[in-house]
Amino acid sequence: MLFRDFGGNSGLIKTPWLWWMSGDEINPAAVAQAVEDVQGDDRWMSQHTRFVQECKDAEPEVLFIGDSMVQLMQQYEIWRELFSPLHALNFGIGGDTTCNVLWRLQNGELDNIRPKVTVVWVGTNNHEHSAEQVAGGILAIAQLLTSRLPKTKVVVLGLLARGDGPNPLREKNAAVNGFLRSWLPRLGQAQFLDVGAGFVHSDGTISTRDMFDFLHLTAAGYRAIAKPLSDLLLQILDETPEEKRASLV
Amino acid sequence: MHHIANASLTDKVMSSGDSNPAATPTPCVDIQGDGRWMSLHNHFVSNSKDKEPDVLFVGDSLVQLLHQFEVWRELFSPLHALNFGVGGDETQHVLWRLSNGELAHISPKVVVLWVGTHNHSHTAEQICGGIMAIVQLIKDKLPKAYTLVLGVLPRGKMPNPLRERNAQVNKLVKDAVSSLPHASLLNVDPGFVHSDGSISHQDLYDFLHLTPQGYQAVCQPLHAHLKGLLEKQAEN
Repeated sequence: MLFRDFGGNSGLIKTPWLWWMSGDEINPAAVAQAVEDVQGDDRWMSQHTRFVQECKDAEPEVLFIGDSMVQLMQQYEIWRELFSPLHALNFGIGGDTTCNVLWRLQNGELDNIRPKVTVVWVGTNNHEHSAEQVAGGILAIAQLLTSRLPKTKVVVLGLLARGDGPNPLREKNAAVNGFLRSWLPRLGQAQFLDVGAGFVHSDGTISTRDMFDFLHLTAAGYRAIAKPLSDLLLQILDETPEEKRASLV
Repeated sequence: MHHIANASLTDKVMSSGDSNPAATPTPCVDIQGDGRWMSLHNHFVSNSKDKEPDVLFVGDSLVQLLHQFEVWRELFSPLHALNFGVGGDETQHVLWRLSNGELAHISPKVVVLWVGTHNHSHTAEQICGGIMAIVQLIKDKLPKAYTLVLGVLPRGKMPNPLRERNAQVNKLVKDAVSSLPHASLLNVDPGFVHSDGSISHQDLYDFLHLTPQGYQAVCQPLHAHLKGLLEKQAEN
Protein backbone atom coordinates (compact mmCIF):
# COMPACT_ATOMS: atom_id res chain seq x y z
CA MET A 1 0.00 0.00 0.00
CA LEU A 2 1.43 3.41 0.87
CA PHE A 3 4.54 1.97 2.34
CA ARG A 4 5.72 0.12 -0.68
CA ASP A 5 6.23 3.47 -2.36
CA PHE A 6 8.44 4.72 0.36
CA GLY A 7 11.39 2.85 -1.09
CA GLY A 8 14.16 4.96 0.55
CA ASN A 9 16.39 2.18 1.82
CA SER A 10 17.66 -0.16 -0.89
CA GLY A 11 17.07 -3.78 -0.20
CA LEU A 12 14.15 -3.08 2.08
CA ILE A 13 11.42 -2.49 -0.46
CA LYS A 14 10.21 -5.98 0.08
CA THR A 15 10.05 -6.42 3.83
CA PRO A 16 7.96 -9.42 4.68
CA TRP A 17 8.63 -9.21 8.35
CA LEU A 18 7.13 -5.72 8.48
CA TRP A 19 4.06 -5.88 6.42
CA TRP A 20 3.08 -9.38 5.66
CA MET A 21 2.76 -11.85 8.41
CA SER A 22 2.42 -15.53 7.60
CA GLY A 23 -0.36 -16.09 5.11
CA ASP A 24 0.17 -12.82 3.24
CA GLU A 25 -1.94 -10.82 5.67
CA ILE A 26 -1.07 -7.21 6.24
CA ASN A 27 0.19 -6.38 9.71
CA PRO A 28 -2.58 -4.35 11.39
CA ALA A 29 -0.04 -2.74 13.72
CA ALA A 30 1.65 -1.23 10.66
CA VAL A 31 -1.48 0.37 9.25
CA ALA A 32 -1.67 4.13 9.82
CA GLN A 33 -4.78 5.13 11.74
CA ALA A 34 -5.95 8.35 13.35
CA VAL A 35 -7.69 8.27 16.74
CA GLU A 36 -11.43 8.83 16.46
CA ASP A 37 -12.95 11.44 18.77
CA VAL A 38 -15.38 9.35 20.81
CA GLN A 39 -15.24 11.44 23.97
CA GLY A 40 -16.36 14.67 22.30
CA ASP A 41 -13.55 17.19 22.88
CA ASP A 42 -11.32 16.28 19.94
CA ARG A 43 -8.16 16.34 22.02
CA TRP A 44 -6.14 13.91 19.93
CA MET A 45 -6.51 15.97 16.79
CA SER A 46 -5.82 19.19 18.73
CA GLN A 47 -2.54 17.73 19.96
CA HIS A 48 -1.58 16.54 16.47
CA THR A 49 -2.38 19.96 15.00
CA ARG A 50 -0.22 21.63 17.63
CA PHE A 51 2.71 19.35 16.75
CA VAL A 52 2.34 20.09 13.04
CA GLN A 53 2.45 23.79 13.87
CA GLU A 54 5.56 23.26 16.00
CA CYS A 55 7.29 21.76 12.98
CA LYS A 56 6.87 25.06 11.20
CA ASP A 57 8.54 27.08 13.93
CA ALA A 58 11.15 24.80 15.43
CA GLU A 59 14.48 23.39 14.34
CA PRO A 60 14.89 20.37 16.59
CA GLU A 61 18.03 18.30 16.69
CA VAL A 62 16.16 15.53 18.48
CA LEU A 63 12.57 14.40 17.99
CA PHE A 64 10.77 12.20 20.54
CA ILE A 65 7.68 10.43 19.22
CA GLY A 66 5.38 7.92 20.89
CA ASP A 67 2.76 7.43 23.57
CA SER A 68 2.27 8.63 27.15
CA MET A 69 5.71 7.35 28.13
CA VAL A 70 7.10 10.05 25.83
CA GLN A 71 4.46 12.66 26.61
CA LEU A 72 4.71 12.53 30.38
CA MET A 73 8.49 12.87 30.34
CA GLN A 74 8.15 16.48 29.25
CA GLN A 75 6.18 17.33 32.41
CA TYR A 76 9.04 16.39 34.71
CA GLU A 77 12.14 18.43 35.57
CA ILE A 78 14.37 15.84 33.86
CA TRP A 79 13.18 17.03 30.44
CA ARG A 80 14.37 20.56 31.06
CA GLU A 81 17.64 19.29 32.52
CA LEU A 82 18.68 16.74 29.94
CA PHE A 83 16.63 17.07 26.75
CA SER A 84 15.68 20.71 26.26
CA PRO A 85 19.40 21.58 25.97
CA LEU A 86 19.59 19.12 23.06
CA HIS A 87 16.86 21.10 21.25
CA ALA A 88 14.41 18.27 21.54
CA LEU A 89 10.75 18.26 20.49
CA ASN A 90 8.23 16.02 22.23
CA PHE A 91 5.44 14.56 20.08
CA GLY A 92 4.08 12.04 22.55
CA ILE A 93 0.33 11.44 22.87
CA GLY A 94 -1.12 9.32 25.67
CA GLY A 95 -2.83 6.14 24.53
CA ASP A 96 -1.20 6.07 21.12
CA THR A 97 -0.52 2.78 19.35
CA THR A 98 1.97 2.20 16.52
CA CYS A 99 -0.90 2.84 14.08
CA ASN A 100 -1.59 6.27 15.54
CA VAL A 101 2.09 7.29 15.50
CA LEU A 102 2.37 6.15 11.88
CA TRP A 103 -0.63 8.29 10.93
CA ARG A 104 0.79 11.35 12.66
CA LEU A 105 4.17 10.97 11.00
CA GLN A 106 2.52 10.63 7.60
CA ASN A 107 0.29 13.64 8.17
CA GLY A 108 2.57 16.53 8.94
CA GLU A 109 4.60 15.78 12.03
CA LEU A 110 7.77 15.37 9.97
CA ASP A 111 7.27 18.35 7.70
CA ASN A 112 9.97 21.03 7.67
CA ILE A 113 12.13 19.49 10.35
CA ARG A 114 15.43 17.66 10.10
CA PRO A 115 16.26 16.18 13.48
CA LYS A 116 19.56 14.36 13.71
CA VAL A 117 18.08 11.76 16.02
CA THR A 118 14.55 10.47 16.45
CA VAL A 119 13.62 8.59 19.60
CA VAL A 120 10.69 6.19 19.18
CA TRP A 121 8.86 4.83 22.23
CA VAL A 122 5.52 3.16 21.50
CA GLY A 123 3.90 -0.27 21.55
CA THR A 124 2.68 -0.84 25.10
CA ASN A 125 -0.85 0.30 24.14
CA ASN A 126 -1.22 -2.05 21.15
CA HIS A 127 -3.63 -4.31 23.00
CA GLU A 128 -5.24 -5.84 19.91
CA HIS A 129 -1.96 -6.97 18.38
CA SER A 130 0.48 -9.82 18.96
CA ALA A 131 4.06 -9.16 20.03
CA GLU A 132 5.27 -9.90 16.51
CA GLN A 133 2.76 -7.48 15.03
CA VAL A 134 3.69 -4.75 17.50
CA ALA A 135 7.38 -5.15 16.69
CA GLY A 136 6.49 -4.99 12.98
CA GLY A 137 4.59 -1.77 13.61
CA ILE A 138 7.57 -0.24 15.39
CA LEU A 139 9.85 -1.30 12.54
CA ALA A 140 7.43 0.35 10.12
CA ILE A 141 7.81 3.58 12.05
CA ALA A 142 11.61 3.30 12.00
CA GLN A 143 11.56 2.63 8.29
CA LEU A 144 9.26 5.58 7.63
CA LEU A 145 11.60 7.84 9.58
CA THR A 146 14.72 6.75 7.73
CA SER A 147 13.04 7.11 4.37
CA ARG A 148 11.60 10.58 5.13
CA LEU A 149 14.70 11.81 6.96
CA PRO A 150 17.60 10.02 5.30
CA LYS A 151 20.21 11.50 7.61
CA THR A 152 18.40 10.81 10.87
CA LYS A 153 19.49 8.16 13.32
CA VAL A 154 16.62 6.29 14.96
CA VAL A 155 16.75 5.12 18.55
CA VAL A 156 13.97 2.70 19.49
CA LEU A 157 13.40 2.33 23.22
CA GLY A 158 12.43 -1.07 24.52
CA LEU A 159 9.01 -1.50 26.08
CA LEU A 160 9.06 -1.51 29.85
CA ALA A 161 7.63 -4.17 32.10
CA ARG A 162 4.25 -3.27 33.59
CA GLY A 163 1.87 -4.44 36.30
CA ASP A 164 2.48 -5.11 39.97
CA GLY A 165 3.61 -8.73 39.51
CA PRO A 166 4.30 -11.11 36.60
CA ASN A 167 1.54 -11.02 34.00
CA PRO A 168 0.97 -11.71 30.27
CA LEU A 169 1.66 -8.08 29.26
CA ARG A 170 5.16 -8.28 30.69
CA GLU A 171 5.82 -11.37 28.62
CA LYS A 172 4.36 -9.69 25.55
CA ASN A 173 6.45 -6.53 25.96
CA ALA A 174 9.58 -8.64 26.48
CA ALA A 175 8.76 -10.57 23.30
CA VAL A 176 8.37 -7.31 21.37
CA ASN A 177 11.80 -6.27 22.61
CA GLY A 178 13.21 -9.61 21.51
CA PHE A 179 11.93 -9.11 17.96
CA LEU A 180 13.24 -5.54 17.91
CA ARG A 181 16.70 -6.66 19.01
CA SER A 182 16.94 -9.01 16.01
CA TRP A 183 15.20 -6.90 13.41
CA LEU A 184 16.40 -3.33 14.04
CA PRO A 185 20.05 -3.92 13.09
CA ARG A 186 18.82 -4.64 9.54
CA LEU A 187 17.93 -0.96 9.29
CA GLY A 188 21.38 0.55 9.25
CA GLN A 189 20.42 3.81 10.87
CA ALA A 190 18.30 2.38 13.66
CA GLN A 191 19.28 0.94 17.00
CA PHE A 192 17.57 -0.56 20.01
CA LEU A 193 18.08 0.74 23.54
CA ASP A 194 16.79 -1.24 26.50
CA VAL A 195 16.11 1.13 29.39
CA GLY A 196 14.06 -1.32 31.45
CA ALA A 197 16.78 -2.88 33.59
CA GLY A 198 16.19 -2.63 37.30
CA PHE A 199 12.46 -1.97 37.40
CA VAL A 200 11.45 -5.54 38.19
CA HIS A 201 12.72 -6.59 41.60
CA SER A 202 13.91 -10.07 42.50
CA ASP A 203 10.45 -10.92 43.86
CA GLY A 204 8.88 -10.02 40.52
CA THR A 205 7.28 -6.81 41.74
CA ILE A 206 7.50 -3.28 40.41
CA SER A 207 7.52 -0.44 42.92
CA THR A 208 5.14 2.52 42.79
CA ARG A 209 8.25 4.59 43.52
CA ASP A 210 9.28 3.87 39.92
CA MET A 211 5.89 3.47 38.21
CA PHE A 212 3.11 5.25 40.10
CA ASP A 213 0.39 3.09 38.55
CA PHE A 214 2.59 0.13 37.56
CA LEU A 215 2.80 1.55 34.03
CA HIS A 216 3.71 5.24 34.02
CA LEU A 217 7.02 6.46 35.38
CA THR A 218 7.54 8.70 38.38
CA ALA A 219 10.21 11.39 38.44
CA ALA A 220 12.60 8.80 39.90
CA GLY A 221 11.67 6.30 37.22
CA TYR A 222 12.35 8.81 34.45
CA ARG A 223 15.63 9.78 36.06
CA ALA A 224 16.75 6.17 35.84
CA ILE A 225 16.01 5.86 32.12
CA ALA A 226 17.00 9.36 31.09
CA LYS A 227 20.68 8.96 31.91
CA PRO A 228 21.50 6.09 29.49
CA LEU A 229 19.26 7.68 26.87
CA SER A 230 20.83 11.12 27.10
CA ASP A 231 24.31 9.57 27.05
CA LEU A 232 23.45 7.79 23.82
CA LEU A 233 21.91 10.92 22.29
CA LEU A 234 24.98 12.97 23.13
CA GLN A 235 27.18 10.31 21.58
CA ILE A 236 25.14 10.28 18.38
CA LEU A 237 24.97 14.05 18.18
CA ASP A 238 28.73 14.24 18.63
CA GLU A 239 29.30 11.76 15.84
CA THR A 240 26.91 13.46 13.40
CA PRO A 241 28.65 15.98 11.18
CA GLU A 242 27.12 19.41 10.97
CA GLU A 243 25.30 19.96 7.70
CA LYS A 244 26.59 23.43 7.30
CA ARG A 245 30.30 23.77 7.17
CA ALA A 246 32.01 27.11 7.21
CA SER A 247 33.54 27.48 3.81
CA LEU A 248 37.26 27.81 3.96
CA VAL A 249 38.42 30.72 1.94
CA MET B 1 -31.30 16.47 57.26
CA HIS B 2 -32.54 17.56 53.84
CA HIS B 3 -35.01 20.41 53.70
CA ILE B 4 -38.46 19.61 52.28
CA ALA B 5 -38.07 22.44 49.78
CA ASN B 6 -35.07 20.70 48.27
CA ALA B 7 -36.77 17.30 48.08
CA SER B 8 -37.37 17.33 44.35
CA LEU B 9 -33.79 18.39 43.62
CA THR B 10 -32.50 15.75 46.01
CA ASP B 11 -34.66 13.10 44.37
CA LYS B 12 -33.31 14.10 40.98
CA VAL B 13 -29.66 14.11 41.86
CA MET B 14 -29.53 11.35 44.42
CA SER B 15 -31.09 8.59 42.38
CA SER B 16 -30.96 5.16 43.92
CA GLY B 17 -27.93 3.08 43.09
CA ASP B 18 -29.88 0.79 40.81
CA SER B 19 -31.12 3.47 38.45
CA ASN B 20 -27.92 5.52 38.30
CA PRO B 21 -24.88 3.60 37.05
CA ALA B 22 -22.64 6.51 38.07
CA ALA B 23 -23.77 5.97 41.67
CA THR B 24 -23.50 2.18 41.72
CA PRO B 25 -20.21 0.92 43.22
CA THR B 26 -18.42 -0.81 40.35
CA PRO B 27 -14.86 -2.13 40.22
CA CYS B 28 -12.83 -1.73 37.04
CA VAL B 29 -12.66 -4.87 34.94
CA ASP B 30 -9.12 -5.82 33.87
CA ILE B 31 -9.32 -5.92 30.09
CA GLN B 32 -5.69 -5.13 29.39
CA GLY B 33 -4.27 -8.10 31.27
CA ASP B 34 -2.01 -6.73 34.00
CA GLY B 35 -4.53 -6.16 36.77
CA ARG B 36 -3.22 -2.70 37.55
CA TRP B 37 -6.44 -1.19 38.84
CA MET B 38 -6.92 -3.83 41.49
CA SER B 39 -3.20 -3.72 42.35
CA LEU B 40 -3.46 0.00 42.98
CA HIS B 41 -6.59 -0.44 45.10
CA ASN B 42 -4.89 -3.13 47.20
CA HIS B 43 -1.81 -0.94 47.49
CA PHE B 44 -3.93 1.92 48.83
CA VAL B 45 -5.69 -0.32 51.34
CA SER B 46 -2.49 -1.80 52.75
CA ASN B 47 -0.64 1.50 52.51
CA SER B 48 -3.25 3.15 54.73
CA LYS B 49 -2.76 0.71 57.58
CA ASP B 50 0.13 2.53 59.19
CA LYS B 51 -0.65 6.07 58.12
CA GLU B 52 -2.61 8.73 59.95
CA PRO B 53 -3.44 11.30 57.31
CA ASP B 54 -5.27 14.49 58.14
CA VAL B 55 -6.23 14.89 54.51
CA LEU B 56 -7.16 12.27 51.93
CA PHE B 57 -7.20 13.12 48.22
CA VAL B 58 -9.32 10.70 46.21
CA GLY B 59 -10.36 10.65 42.57
CA ASP B 60 -9.07 10.17 39.06
CA SER B 61 -5.90 10.99 37.09
CA LEU B 62 -6.04 14.64 38.07
CA VAL B 63 -5.56 13.53 41.69
CA GLN B 64 -3.07 10.81 40.82
CA LEU B 65 -0.79 12.99 38.73
CA LEU B 66 -0.76 15.70 41.42
CA HIS B 67 1.16 13.27 43.59
CA GLN B 68 4.00 13.08 41.07
CA PHE B 69 4.95 16.73 40.97
CA GLU B 70 6.89 18.98 43.33
CA VAL B 71 3.70 20.85 44.28
CA TRP B 72 2.55 17.83 46.32
CA ARG B 73 5.66 17.84 48.46
CA GLU B 74 5.53 21.64 48.83
CA LEU B 75 1.88 22.09 49.70
CA PHE B 76 0.21 18.84 50.71
CA SER B 77 2.81 16.59 52.35
CA PRO B 78 3.10 19.16 55.18
CA LEU B 79 -0.66 18.75 55.72
CA HIS B 80 -0.17 14.97 56.17
CA ALA B 81 -2.04 14.09 53.03
CA LEU B 82 -2.53 10.72 51.33
CA ASN B 83 -3.24 10.35 47.63
CA PHE B 84 -5.69 7.68 46.37
CA GLY B 85 -6.04 8.86 42.80
CA VAL B 86 -6.44 6.35 39.96
CA GLY B 87 -6.21 7.40 36.33
CA GLY B 88 -9.39 6.91 34.33
CA ASP B 89 -11.61 6.41 37.38
CA GLU B 90 -15.25 7.40 37.11
CA THR B 91 -17.52 8.13 40.07
CA GLN B 92 -18.72 4.52 40.37
CA HIS B 93 -15.10 3.28 40.56
CA VAL B 94 -14.19 5.68 43.35
CA LEU B 95 -17.39 4.67 45.12
CA TRP B 96 -16.37 1.00 44.94
CA ARG B 97 -12.83 1.67 46.18
CA LEU B 98 -14.03 3.68 49.17
CA SER B 99 -16.63 1.01 49.97
CA ASN B 100 -14.05 -1.76 49.85
CA GLY B 101 -11.29 -0.87 52.25
CA GLU B 102 -9.72 2.43 51.31
CA LEU B 103 -11.38 4.17 54.25
CA ALA B 104 -11.14 1.27 56.67
CA HIS B 105 -7.93 2.18 58.48
CA ILE B 106 -7.81 5.96 58.40
CA SER B 107 -9.68 8.93 59.86
CA PRO B 108 -8.76 11.99 57.83
CA LYS B 109 -10.28 15.28 58.89
CA VAL B 110 -10.84 16.37 55.30
CA VAL B 111 -11.45 14.32 52.17
CA VAL B 112 -10.73 16.11 48.89
CA LEU B 113 -12.80 14.53 46.13
CA TRP B 114 -12.01 15.20 42.47
CA VAL B 115 -13.79 12.97 39.97
CA GLY B 116 -16.37 13.06 37.19
CA THR B 117 -14.56 14.13 34.04
CA HIS B 118 -14.11 10.53 32.82
CA ASN B 119 -17.81 9.54 33.18
CA HIS B 120 -18.29 9.51 29.41
CA SER B 121 -21.44 7.47 29.19
CA HIS B 122 -23.32 9.41 31.87
CA THR B 123 -25.34 12.60 31.91
CA ALA B 124 -24.45 15.57 34.10
CA GLU B 125 -27.31 14.60 36.44
CA GLN B 126 -26.02 11.05 36.77
CA ILE B 127 -22.47 12.24 37.39
CA CYS B 128 -23.73 14.60 40.10
CA GLY B 129 -25.62 11.66 41.60
CA GLY B 130 -22.39 9.66 41.59
CA ILE B 131 -20.47 12.43 43.32
CA MET B 132 -23.22 12.86 45.93
CA ALA B 133 -23.24 9.11 46.55
CA ILE B 134 -19.54 9.35 47.36
CA VAL B 135 -20.17 12.33 49.66
CA GLN B 136 -22.83 10.29 51.49
CA LEU B 137 -20.56 7.24 51.75
CA ILE B 138 -17.78 9.33 53.28
CA LYS B 139 -20.27 10.74 55.79
CA ASP B 140 -21.37 7.22 56.73
CA LYS B 141 -17.84 5.87 57.16
CA LEU B 142 -16.15 8.99 58.56
CA PRO B 143 -18.85 10.90 60.47
CA LYS B 144 -16.46 13.64 61.56
CA ALA B 145 -14.80 14.27 58.19
CA TYR B 146 -15.45 17.23 55.92
CA THR B 147 -15.68 16.52 52.20
CA LEU B 148 -14.33 19.14 49.82
CA VAL B 149 -15.52 18.43 46.29
CA LEU B 150 -13.39 20.07 43.62
CA GLY B 151 -15.17 21.33 40.52
CA VAL B 152 -14.38 19.41 37.35
CA LEU B 153 -12.18 21.48 35.06
CA PRO B 154 -12.93 22.53 31.49
CA ARG B 155 -11.24 20.39 28.84
CA GLY B 156 -10.49 20.33 25.13
CA LYS B 157 -8.64 23.00 23.21
CA MET B 158 -11.81 24.85 22.12
CA PRO B 159 -15.45 24.96 23.36
CA ASN B 160 -17.09 21.52 23.17
CA PRO B 161 -19.95 19.52 24.74
CA LEU B 162 -17.74 18.10 27.51
CA ARG B 163 -17.04 21.59 28.82
CA GLU B 164 -20.77 22.21 29.03
CA ARG B 165 -21.33 18.87 30.71
CA ASN B 166 -18.61 19.51 33.30
CA ALA B 167 -19.94 23.00 34.03
CA GLN B 168 -23.41 21.53 34.51
CA VAL B 169 -22.03 18.88 36.88
CA ASN B 170 -20.42 21.60 38.97
CA LYS B 171 -23.66 23.61 39.12
CA LEU B 172 -25.72 20.58 40.16
CA VAL B 173 -23.22 19.50 42.81
CA LYS B 174 -22.96 23.01 44.20
CA ASP B 175 -26.74 23.08 44.64
CA ALA B 176 -26.82 19.60 46.14
CA VAL B 177 -24.15 20.30 48.79
CA SER B 178 -25.49 23.74 49.68
CA SER B 179 -27.66 22.31 52.45
CA LEU B 180 -24.97 20.02 53.86
CA PRO B 181 -22.83 21.13 56.79
CA HIS B 182 -20.17 18.50 56.10
CA ALA B 183 -19.44 19.18 52.42
CA SER B 184 -18.91 21.94 49.90
CA LEU B 185 -17.83 22.47 46.31
CA LEU B 186 -14.70 24.47 45.54
CA ASN B 187 -14.19 25.85 42.05
CA VAL B 188 -10.46 25.43 41.38
CA ASP B 189 -10.45 26.72 37.80
CA PRO B 190 -8.21 29.79 37.93
CA GLY B 191 -9.39 30.87 34.47
CA PHE B 192 -7.89 28.30 32.12
CA VAL B 193 -10.24 29.26 29.29
CA HIS B 194 -8.97 32.34 27.48
CA SER B 195 -11.16 35.03 25.95
CA ASP B 196 -11.08 33.28 22.57
CA GLY B 197 -12.39 30.10 24.17
CA SER B 198 -9.09 28.26 23.94
CA ILE B 199 -7.18 26.38 26.60
CA SER B 200 -3.40 26.44 26.51
CA HIS B 201 -1.22 23.32 26.47
CA GLN B 202 1.00 25.16 28.96
CA ASP B 203 -1.77 24.66 31.53
CA LEU B 204 -3.34 21.40 30.32
CA TYR B 205 -0.67 19.60 28.31
CA ASP B 206 -3.16 17.40 26.45
CA PHE B 207 -6.13 19.70 27.03
CA LEU B 208 -7.24 17.52 29.96
CA HIS B 209 -4.34 16.88 32.34
CA LEU B 210 -2.52 19.62 34.24
CA THR B 211 1.08 20.63 33.74
CA PRO B 212 3.11 21.48 36.86
CA GLN B 213 2.32 25.13 36.07
CA GLY B 214 -1.39 24.32 35.84
CA TYR B 215 -1.23 22.50 39.17
CA GLN B 216 0.41 25.50 40.84
CA ALA B 217 -2.46 27.73 39.69
CA VAL B 218 -5.03 25.23 40.99
CA CYS B 219 -3.29 24.23 44.19
CA GLN B 220 -2.30 27.55 45.74
CA PRO B 221 -5.92 28.55 46.46
CA LEU B 222 -6.83 24.94 47.25
CA HIS B 223 -4.04 24.76 49.80
CA ALA B 224 -5.16 27.99 51.46
CA HIS B 225 -8.75 26.74 51.59
CA LEU B 226 -7.67 23.39 53.03
CA LYS B 227 -5.64 25.02 55.77
CA GLY B 228 -8.71 27.05 56.70
CA LEU B 229 -10.84 23.91 56.84
CA LEU B 230 -8.30 22.04 58.96
CA GLU B 231 -8.11 24.90 61.41
CA LYS B 232 -11.90 24.95 61.71
CA GLN B 233 -11.96 21.17 62.21
CA ALA B 234 -9.39 21.55 64.97
CA GLU B 235 -11.59 24.09 66.75
CA ASN B 236 -14.65 21.80 66.70
